[in-house]
Amino acid sequence: MSIAEKMAANQKQVAISEFFEKNKHFLGFDTLNRALITAVKEAVDNALDACEEARILPDIIVKISKLDNKKDILQVEVEDNGPGIPRASIAKVFGQLLFGSRFHAIRQSRGQQGIGITGVVMYSQLTTGDPTHVESKIAKEATAVSVDIGLDTRKNKAIKSNQDRIDWGEKVHGLRIRTTMKAKYQRGRQSVWQYLRMTSIVNPHADILFIDPDGEKHHWQRVTERLPGRVEAIKPHPKGIELGQLQRLCSESTESRMTTFLRRTFSGVSQRAAKELCEVSELEEKLKPKSLSAQQVRALLEAFQGERQLKGKSVKLLNPPTSCLSPIEELLIKKGLSKTIDSKFVTTMTRAPSVAQGNPFQVEVGLIFGEGMTADKPVEILRFANRVPLMYQQGGCLLTKAIESVDWRQYGLDQAGGRGVPKGPAAILVHLASTNVQFTSEAKEALSDNETVMEEARKAMLEMGRGLRKHLEKQKKMGKTKEKFELINDIIPAIAEKSASLLELPVPDLAASITKIMSAVIAETTTTWNKATKQTDVHITLYNYTSRARSYTMLVNWPERQGASMVNNNLGGRKEAMGVWAWKLETLQPGVQTVISYSLADLEKGDWNETDVFYRGSQEVIGATKMDEKLLEEIRRQEEALNAPLPEDDEPLDVNESSDDESVDESEPNAPPSDTMQTTLFGGDY
Amino acid sequence: MAERKSIEETKTALHDVVREMYDRIVKGEPPTMTLPVRTKNNIGFDAKLGVYKYGRKQTIRDATSLGSAKQLLRALHVIEFIESMIDDGKSSTLREMYYISEGWGLGKFQSQNESNNLAEDLEIVTRCLREDFKLRPEEDGARMIGNLTLRERNRRGEWMRINARDDVGDSGYGVPYNVEAEKIEFLEHDVNFIMAIETGGMFDRLVENGFDEDFKCALLHLKGQPARSTRRIMKRMSEEWDLPVVVFLDGDPWSFRIFASIAYGAIKTAHISEYLATPTSTYLGITADDILAYDLPSDDLSKKDIEALNAELSDPRFADGWWQEQINMMLEVGKKAEQQSLAKYGLDFVTETYLPEKLQALGL
Ligand SMILES: Nc1ncnc2c1ncn2[C@@H]1O[C@H](COP(=O)(O)OP(=O)(O)O)[C@@H](O)[C@H]1O
Ligand SMILES: [Mg+2]
Repeated sequence: MSIAEKMAANQKQVAISEFFEKNKHFLGFDTLNRALITAVKEAVDNALDACEEARILPDIIVKISKLDNKKDILQVEVEDNGPGIPRASIAKVFGQLLFGSRFHAIRQSRGQQGIGITGVVMYSQLTTGDPTHVESKIAKEATAVSVDIGLDTRKNKAIKSNQDRIDWGEKVHGLRIRTTMKAKYQRGRQSVWQYLRMTSIVNPHADILFIDPDGEKHHWQRVTERLPGRVEAIKPHPKGIELGQLQRLCSESTESRMTTFLRRTFSGVSQRAAKELCEVSELEEKLKPKSLSAQQVRALLEAFQGERQLKGKSVKLLNPPTSCLSPIEELLIKKGLSKTIDSKFVTTMTRAPSVAQGNPFQVEVGLIFGEGMTADKPVEILRFANRVPLMYQQGGCLLTKAIESVDWRQYGLDQAGGRGVPKGPAAILVHLASTNVQFTSEAKEALSDNETVMEEARKAMLEMGRGLRKHLEKQKKMGKTKEKFELINDIIPAIAEKSASLLELPVPDLAASITKIMSAVIAETTTTWNKATKQTDVHITLYNYTSRARSYTMLVNWPERQGASMVNNNLGGRKEAMGVWAWKLETLQPGVQTVISYSLADLEKGDWNETDVFYRGSQEVIGATKMDEKLLEEIRRQEEALNAPLPEDDEPLDVNESSDDESVDESEPNAPPSDTMQTTLFGGDY
Repeated sequence: MAERKSIEETKTALHDVVREMYDRIVKGEPPTMTLPVRTKNNIGFDAKLGVYKYGRKQTIRDATSLGSAKQLLRALHVIEFIESMIDDGKSSTLREMYYISEGWGLGKFQSQNESNNLAEDLEIVTRCLREDFKLRPEEDGARMIGNLTLRERNRRGEWMRINARDDVGDSGYGVPYNVEAEKIEFLEHDVNFIMAIETGGMFDRLVENGFDEDFKCALLHLKGQPARSTRRIMKRMSEEWDLPVVVFLDGDPWSFRIFASIAYGAIKTAHISEYLATPTSTYLGITADDILAYDLPSDDLSKKDIEALNAELSDPRFADGWWQEQINMMLEVGKKAEQQSLAKYGLDFVTETYLPEKLQALGL
């Protein structure tokens, strides 16, 4: 039983306030700093949830002010532009514990993690004796409701006072609450500031303004107009159900046959599976679910869990649908991270949804790296569960363990002994989206161990690590290319001129020595946002500084999956795989340059800032990477996987190293486009 | 070889460097500059000269990497600058040249060290001296006290006669940066030897105690790692007046290096060792066994010290038995001591006991 359910069960015997006092720790009110964070969190999570449901882009203002310095009394004000709460519901929402939505639906929502906003009202009342002020305006009413809410802790009921209607001017809808409480404002890793900063990272569609007790304003602006995808509630999956829950579902059911009950109440149960489940649990198909005995319920549960089998096999169930999940998605993680952390390189990875014990889940990771962050400290870890920041108990959390389990040294970060939190100028984000987030304790600050989730998180990290390593290698290569260009464009001509003038001789021709110095083909790539056309322009200039004619296939990555389209492609070329375009250049004459140019339409500014260029050919192209045919193979596999039903398990890759030269397979892969966000093999660079 | 070059010779030598680069470009090759390897692995004893010189190992600096190409370009700028100074009858300090290079665009120096090194590179490849290039060091020269008479040509071109005991104050005669014959001539002396001293404190102690008069010697303050002019004047005095030189330094690995640069030639300036080094000079102290024999207050060797001592063990200049013994002893004892630690036994101990004993052992 969860703590909330325990509370519900207990509320008749004990005064709720007493229970609250005893369980402060679980409820997030155990220290004065944490109480403040919890209060802000409950209110902001609600605002985000309500806006998401009502498809409104959230504007949230949080203000904390000091009222009485000596007694640690703070005032917290939170305002949103959500749909507001109808007058009739206000008392229930703020004055009745456990009124929330979180116990009813199986889907991903923020609210599931807290005690709810009533907990804040109660804490405020317990520590200051004051009621909480609420103002709410819904769109169809001309004025806002204004009311003070207190609690009758014995009856679990609200006490309303000062009820009134007030004019809100321009503002059409929203909610404002103001409460006073015993609390302390702190800065640092565990602070309201950090909570809001993290919240803004995973909610790039929100505009959050925070006014701290010193009156200083912190503003995290909206960086995308795209609202998170709509999440649907799904039916429970047999694999994720507990005995108590199953008992309740049976006893509350009005179905008249077991088979219909099984098909309608659960996800992943086909007609055939329903029959088989009945068979193995020795239940008549036409039995009324309501009439099941405790023993029969237990048998059914055993069938669900595969303990009762049919001819040595457990009943085959389909996976639950994953439409109930709302990942942030790669481009938005990039935007969210780069808005709060000022650095250039971001790599992200959203894994395909997966299922653990009947619960759909999805892991997303992001890594931001570069200047402006301290290099000799452990990287900052940003943990999230269903878009809610986790700020305490970092060490004990599954997400941290996943980070620690990776040997980051091979990807360019420092890490003593190849274990633990790596060091370096970086921050790592991990987000678990799931219909059933398992925490280590009721404090809900750390995720408990789960092999399947761990495996997914690890895979995501490795993928991201490869992105980082590629970036670092590319940086190095780009540096090298830049140097070469400076050498031949500036320094060698200067040497020629100066030596000629000192000797009073004519300036010699440089072409031959430049070819000797470079003896390479060089690619220079620019990716720039074009304000006028609202497109991203890409130019790749190839110079052949060798003494022979050369031929190459040049390839680039582009955000095809993210909905971009390629226009004004001067040399045509062809699609090589999802998100990979290729041009075959038959002859690059010595001393001659060739330009490939195209533009990407249907992207926002900042969506695509860097293009990776690859080549196939025998001679190195400075400024491009040799095409890793393995990688290409992997992209094609992922595409196939995406078009197939949800995979139970990702198979490890085992593709033989392809040969290096032009003769490798260049056949057109049949790659139907997919709109799902999945592994970005190239798209790491921002 | 280190004969002074005429203006024309200097210019020709510099032009040869430019030629190498130019010709390579004409041939369709990357421009280059060829010069000897300047590490301890490429110095060898020249029996004829009695000093350590660069060996045969050459490196070719070619313009295939950005760093080397910039070096070449800088060399061209420096050559142009030197030519203009020669033509205008001017000179400049190395530091001034470093600042002037601000205007050289791509050829500008990133650090003073870089410009000093390049000046040395050019000396090496052209076999000229930086005096020929009209480049002066920033380093200040030594000071000297003792019954020596020399003449120095002043700014107005007049010769001034100076006795380094009677015509100077307590700080002694200041050695100018140029100590060549055109600037300084040695006239007469009444001393038996020259003593070179590492620290100012010890120099002043000996001066105050009248050591130079009591022991009929000239005292020379080295100011740590001695400047080129300091080493050059020691060399000239020892040669032209046939005077022995004894060197009195702290007892640590760095002092050993100072001595090597005085007696055998420094690695950085091995191209002109025969011109700067005084092969007849002797190391007086502080030796590793002095630390034990006189029970001197000492410090533990640092990690750096130990590394330096180990490097010295494989340095050809310290190959002889006495040095190997001293270095190993210091490593074993794990201690180093300063000259001034002799003050443990009183201010006069150094002049009344330590130095007389050490000098006697040397037969002076
Ligand atoms: N800012 C808000 N705007 C609109 N509705 C809200 C707001 N805050 C709370 N609510 C409504 O009140 C309900 C109860 O909130 P709460 O007690 O925090 O529980 P939960 O967040 O788990 O649903 C929410 O489910 C939502 O319907
Ligand atoms: Mg809530």
